[in-house]
Amino acid sequence: MTGGKSMVTRRIWLGGAAGLAAGALLAPSRPRAEDAYILGTLFPMAGPNAEYGTIFTAGAEMALKHVAADKMLSRPLVLRAEDSEGTPQGGAVGMSKLVNVDRAVYVLIGFTGVSKAAAPIGARAKVVLVNGGGVGPDLAGLSPYYWNVIPLVPDEIKVLVPFLMARKLRRIALIYVNDPFGNGLLKSLKGDLTAAGGEIVTADAIAPTDQQFSAIAARIRTLSPDAVYFASYGAQQAEIIKQLRDAGISQQLLTYSAATIPSVRNLPEAEGLIFTNQAADWSADDPITKRFVADWRAAYHTDPTTYNQNYYNAVRLFALLAQQLEKSGKPVNGDNLRAALLATRRFPLVGGEGVFDDLCDISMKIVVNRYQDGKLVPIG
Amino acid sequence: MLILQLLVSGIEAGALYALTAAGFALIFGATRIFHFAHGATYALAGYAFVLATRLGWAWPAGVGLALVVAIAFGLLLEAAVYRPIQRHHGAFFTVFVAAFGVVIVVQSLIELSFGRAFIAISSPLTRAHEVLPGLYIARVFWLALATAGVVFAVLGAFLARTRAGIGLRALAENPDLLRAFGLSSRRLSALAFALGSALAVPGAVLGAMTTGLSPGVGAHVMLISLAASVMGGIGSLRGAALAGLLLGIVENLVVAGLDTQWSEAAGFVALFAFILFRPRGIFGAALVR
Repeated sequence: MTGGKSMVTRRIWLGGAAGLAAGALLAPSRPRAEDAYILGTLFPMAGPNAEYGTIFTAGAEMALKHVAADKMLSRPLVLRAEDSEGTPQGGAVGMSKLVNVDRAVYVLIGFTGVSKAAAPIGARAKVVLVNGGGVGPDLAGLSPYYWNVIPLVPDEIKVLVPFLMARKLRRIALIYVNDPFGNGLLKSLKGDLTAAGGEIVTADAIAPTDQQFSAIAARIRTLSPDAVYFASYGAQQAEIIKQLRDAGISQQLLTYSAATIPSVRNLPEAEGLIFTNQAADWSADDPITKRFVADWRAAYHTDPTTYNQNYYNAVRLFALLAQQLEKSGKPVNGDNLRAALLATRRFPLVGGEGVFDDLCDISMKIVVNRYQDGKLVPIG
Repeated sequence: MLILQLLVSGIEAGALYALTAAGFALIFGATRIFHFAHGATYALAGYAFVLATRLGWAWPAGVGLALVVAIAFGLLLEAAVYRPIQRHHGAFFTVFVAAFGVVIVVQSLIELSFGRAFIAISSPLTRAHEVLPGLYIARVFWLALATAGVVFAVLGAFLARTRAGIGLRALAENPDLLRAFGLSSRRLSALAFALGSALAVPGAVLGAMTTGLSPGVGAHVMLISLAASVMGGIGSLRGAALAGLLLGIVENLVVAGLDTQWSEAAGFVALFAFILFRPRGIFGAALVR
């Protein structure tokens, strides 16, 4: 190598090194994973239930912004997303990765089947899982490290059944997804309805991937029920509603809180659909709700859904608990988070004060709603 | 009356299955390419129709757009994916993996463009009316039957009476001999993809109105097409069409006596029965080793 070439090479190296150093100094500082609290999300991000993943994540992301803006914690909060695919298998795989690779300390989760698969992994690793979307009856007390910030479906059924009896809707045809959620709902509805003097005239189990419901509609029509209750989720709900109406089923359609997603709300055939949901007062004047609603409307030009609220609350709950632990000099881990939750019980959240029971489940008021002109109207 | 109602539903679903399955069978029969992305063609055609409807286009223009998109996609895949793989003597598995990758890309593109939610077109055609006591039929039933009838009649005449049609039938048998008769196997292969892809359009358009669309709809369509192709006899167009119709009828009729969860399973029980007892399918030729 000649001296000239050597000089050029040295200059290139020096220039490159200086550029890298300048880049590192000028680039906005990004939190390193080992310095941050890792929050995992285990939501369906692809497939027929992906709409929920987008909705859930949006609520959590807004909370992250507010927590950072308020400087609630000494360390940054970093989100790590895993796709649960809405299936137990996806839940188990995703949770293992969040626990073992990402070292998540707190995981946001939705869907009953996913939760039941991921909860044992969380319990073994003492990683807290917080559910704001799944409503299966089995989710209460699933593990000491599994908390619910959403009321479960038995609470919804308890409110719906007296409403149905008062309107003389006693003979109910049920279409339900054959999974842990659907089977739990069948048990709850059958028990409460029978006790109130009603009956389930037919219970048709469907697979979460089914798309054709004209045969079920034909069978239901021959039984002439007073109303049809469907327990499904995601895109399938809209398909059920449309095909039942197309097949000439004119009876009242009923369902639960999963119907709050836009693809159901915007469906013309969903007009008049009655469903239960946790109460949400977006005009409440407590500062936390006001800020959440105002920022949501500014960002998305629409009102939030209760799913957005729940996952916002799940992240805010972590920030409040971790803040408490930081102040007392304790490490932020599953055991200490649980101990802090049970010691405090009441937290200022969106929608008012959130009160947790011994199973670490939140209690909330349930209302009966109807879709009128594409809008959710509380009716009972 | 329940049986009659289920039969009507089954014929409607089966007519659409028949058309889509015939498209897959036509491509496989002529080119021996396992076109796993046929379900993606269905999805793209359906979403193209939805787009046209949203833009306020008249339905014939929407169907035209769906046809253009489906045929262009089929031709693009044939030229840019399958042909290069075959040029390098790619194995069946290579073709399958490539097509599988295309399906995922298409699904992601649809999700990015239309969102992940269920989409349906509300049409008075899908609203059922009571034609006899307890028997409800929507106008889309007659439309599905008429479309299937006309398409199969035209396709049958094309394959039987035109030089290109006969060439397509011969393509799978002996591509070298075709060249001796002055026919291009490359052009015939492209024609098979164009025709096969176009056959997915009626099912996609009517499916967008009846069962609706979601980005992953292609997987179900592909499963039905595959089952119908096996039951009908590998590569047999009329076999796939007949098997598609049978699958639709079986899926619906089984609900009369069994739990609804057996609906889709019943079609595949029929498929297993064919594999066990008549592996060559309804119209397939027996192979002797």
